[in-house]
Amino acid sequence: MSSSRAGRTVMRHALTRFQRPPRIFREIRRHPKTGLPQPPTKVVTREFAPCRLEDHYHTTLKDDLMYMTYTHEVGERKPPRQIRLKFDPEDPYTKHRYNPPVGGSQLGKKPAPPSNWDNVVRLEKIQLHTMVKEAIGSKNNLLPAIMQLKALSGESFQGGGRHAIEGVQIVKGKKSVGGWVRPGIPVGAKVDLKGPAMYDFLTTLVEFVLPRLRDFNGVVLPPASSSSNTPATVSGVISFGLPPNAIGFFPQIEINVDAYPKLYGMHMHFITNATGIGAQDRARALLSGFQIPFVRR
Amino acid sequence: MLSSRCAAAARPFWRSLATEATAEQSTSSRAKKIKPRISTAVILNRAPILTRSPTPFEKAYYSYQARIRRSLHNPFPNDFYFKPGTLLETRFNLEERKREHRAFGPGFLPKEDISEEKRLADIAAVEQLAQQEGEGEELMPRVHPSDTNGDTKSLDRQGQRNLYLLLHTSEQGKDVWRFPQGGVAKDQFLHQAAQRDLLNECGDKMDTWIVGKAPHVIFFYKAHILAGQVSPVGDHIRDFAWLTKQEIQTRVDEPYWNTIKDILSDF
Repeated sequence: MSSSRAGRTVMRHALTRFQRPPRIFREIRRHPKTGLPQPPTKVVTREFAPCRLEDHYHTTLKDDLMYMTYTHEVGERKPPRQIRLKFDPEDPYTKHRYNPPVGGSQLGKKPAPPSNWDNVVRLEKIQLHTMVKEAIGSKNNLLPAIMQLKALSGESFQGGGRHAIEGVQIVKGKKSVGGWVRPGIPVGAKVDLKGPAMYDFLTTLVEFVLPRLRDFNGVVLPPASSSSNTPATVSGVISFGLPPNAIGFFPQIEINVDAYPKLYGMHMHFITNATGIGAQDRARALLSGFQIPFVRR
Repeated sequence: MLSSRCAAAARPFWRSLATEATAEQSTSSRAKKIKPRISTAVILNRAPILTRSPTPFEKAYYSYQARIRRSLHNPFPNDFYFKPGTLLETRFNLEERKREHRAFGPGFLPKEDISEEKRLADIAAVEQLAQQEGEGEELMPRVHPSDTNGDTKSLDRQGQRNLYLLLHTSEQGKDVWRFPQGGVAKDQFLHQAAQRDLLNECGDKMDTWIVGKAPHVIFFYKAHILAGQVSPVGDHIRDFAWLTKQEIQTRVDEPYWNTIKDILSDF
């Protein structure tokens, strides 16, 4: 018994522990300024632990969502009706001219793509966003918000050698709003979460923060009479916010909440792959599978 | 009920769909019109309750990636998170040294610049703190007793897998393993019929949730068990079992297996 257990431990250590550094045959290039060794290959970090919520999505949610959101269609869809003739594509004069659709933009009117195994609704990324009004007066006031987002997300610019990770970004004003926002001045901060970091954030939110909120029964659904083809309802994004006092319930912040001069509330955008009519409903079905409650008013 | 089900199952899958009525009309056009008997079945699922154990390859991969991550991470802002000299900081430093030792081997870290007495005192203080916080409680084992003694009725068995409820019934003198099923009354919705049939055969001592309102494959409904346990109702049901997909294959007959195998989760 004890020998077999020791054998298993040795086996586990052989797989997981650092064994012996590889022998270096050629001298490693060093950075001329810092003198630090430069690896000959690009070092990139990938998944370093199994992800519970992602497993849950693949073992249970994906099945259920495919089943709940499936709409049966026989044969291929008819192409959209041509209301009027297009420009002759062979005519050199009109070859590269923009041919506008009749009836304006079709955004909000396009049906959802046909259901198949590949487009079952899934979470693509979570964006955290906070606007700091005081930052308009002084940029320094943005620092606690940036630190807060950094602690919540753990992301840094090109973290882990991945060039697509942008870390915490500063949001700047775009338009001039009379006596308030000017173009180019910092007004807030945001961070994009993808992959395991996204699922980690979702777990923390659902298990530590939402249950501790007072008078919170769930995210309020829009009334049944609301329009079903606005850009918001067809883009598959669910957004809601947390007030400043809720931020203190995140364990990453709670541990040293005194270190922050002020906590800022934030918006969370859950971005899914759902598109077309009814996309927001499908996105809500996904999020309620991750235990985010929704209620009717 | 069984005969109609078997007849439907023996045919290829697409024949068991909506075309059934027309097929029967063409074969027995002269005889009385026979209406197809619609029945609903519930595939009652117990979702995984444990995370999947990684394979040896995954274990090695994860620890390798964790080592790369550890060696590339930004410096930890110690003074932002801990007041200097506190017990929490001491505990963090001790644990961090242990993790570094595990990741990069014994020769990696330089020796600490403190006296042996101080080091032992730190360790004792951290151990006392751990006792106060109630750490060191043993985790539940990942293997349940029902896995070792082969109890297929337990809802705690095979925690990492999807389980499905199968009933052992005697129908027209034959022993059959099948999903809970039953007929549809007039003016009744299919998903309501499925719920009622489940209660009729398995008792009302469990909470279930039927996924969606459209039947899975003509009359199969997926459902989740939320709480409770099956208590068979009626003499024709002899036994029940919670089984994985692979175990179901060994119990049901082949035509039935061919109709249901694509509905069930491989893992």
